[in-house]
Amino acid sequence: MKSLIQLTVNGRLVEAAVEPNRTLLQFLREDLELTGSKHGCGLGDCGACTVILDGKPVNSCLVLAVQANGREVLTIEGLAENGKLHPIQQAFVDKGAIQCGFCTPGMILSAKALLDANPRPTEQEIRLAISGNLCRCTGYQKIVEAIGEAAKTIQGMEVS
Amino acid sequence: MLLPRFEYHEPSTLEEALHLMSELGGNARVLAGGTDLLVRMKLKIDKPTHVISLARVPGMDEIIPRNGHAVSIGSAVTAATLAGHELMRDRFAPLALAASRLGAPMIRNLATIGGNLVNARPAADLPPPCMVLNAELKLKSAAGERQVSVNEFFLGPGETVIEPHELLLSVHVETPPPWSGGSYIKLGARKTLEISMVNVATLLTLESPDGPIVDVRIALGAVAPTPVRAYGAEQLLIGEQPSEELFQRAGEVGVGLCSPITDHRGTMEYRCMMIEVLTKRALRSALEQARSWKP
Repeated sequence: MKSLIQLTVNGRLVEAAVEPNRTLLQFLREDLELTGSKHGCGLGDCGACTVILDGKPVNSCLVLAVQANGREVLTIEGLAENGKLHPIQQAFVDKGAIQCGFCTPGMILSAKALLDANPRPTEQEIRLAISGNLCRCTGYQKIVEAIGEAAKTIQGMEVS
Repeated sequence: MLLPRFEYHEPSTLEEALHLMSELGGNARVLAGGTDLLVRMKLKIDKPTHVISLARVPGMDEIIPRNGHAVSIGSAVTAATLAGHELMRDRFAPLALAASRLGAPMIRNLATIGGNLVNARPAADLPPPCMVLNAELKLKSAAGERQVSVNEFFLGPGETVIEPHELLLSVHVETPPPWSGGSYIKLGARKTLEISMVNVATLLTLESPDGPIVDVRIALGAVAPTPVRAYGAEQLLIGEQPSEELFQRAGEVGVGLCSPITDHRGTMEYRCMMIEVLTKRALRSALEQARSWKP
């Protein structure tokens, strides 16, 4: 039987009736057509489905849509503002941290969660923050550099 | 990957949750973090017709210090919370360390201590530290309440003494005495998103920084059908001055107390070798922590 849920997605209030066996990932992709979050393994092992739930990065394939009732969700679509890329997104582009792009939304959101909590991470802290996100293309190096670069850009913005 | 259909319940009080569990019994599963349950349901290993979420039951996700010498950890406390909690890291290091090694950052934001204990996988991260801390588990049902030592909780892979109508409410641990130190080592083929090949938690208490060992506890996971306390190795160490040779012997004894299997993660022979090495390393690390204990 469907439940009525109300949640904030990328700053906007959303209301929907969902079956309990629907995951947050399915709801975002299929009901809201926010296809930036990807279905990789469906079991919490790859991080392609990463979203930020109440400020914390989670595998949305392991959250029921009904569990997101009353909560705040940030997806990759919520990062750019007025068509301008978020510094983390820009850094990924500038540093060549994107190959096929499948892991990218998850990587960027894990990076955002890291930089929100820890604006000046060490390389080790960056690697730890993305340790739940698998990338089969890049070998991670450019991703780590991009996140480091984004940290500096964001710090620079805050100072000025 | 699709979840099968089920009826979903979101009780708003503990009483309501327990009542539901009494009524539904073995047809229901409790949903806490979902990082085990939802995976099992997607893989069709578990097929509950009812799922009872703890999300709205108040008080289950709190860490409450008691009287300055004990702590109650709600069963819905996440691994991430345990890993980052100041008191946990300071006084209950093996548990905080193990929580920091569970899964990966996103899993840790959802996974709970209750789920990790009740799911009782032999290689689980949180049972060994709970065992060396002699944690007491509070089990509650609509009919009453009981307390079980974590050292008597596990019966086999996926099996514990908990009954279908019971809920693991909280985990109680006493602050280790002065000159105590602990450690947790997790061995796997990779550093993250890994299930242990062998894991070991220790807690060691000295009489004084240069003194003999007055208490030591060693627990090993992934080397038997349940996590195990190496009581035999512990006996060897109590009353003795710590030394490399002593820890080496403890490691050797530890091997004899385990019954690892060969599976896709590692062979029995390798696991036996690692039990010896990791027990020794964990004791060494715990000793270092014990010697640098601060009030």
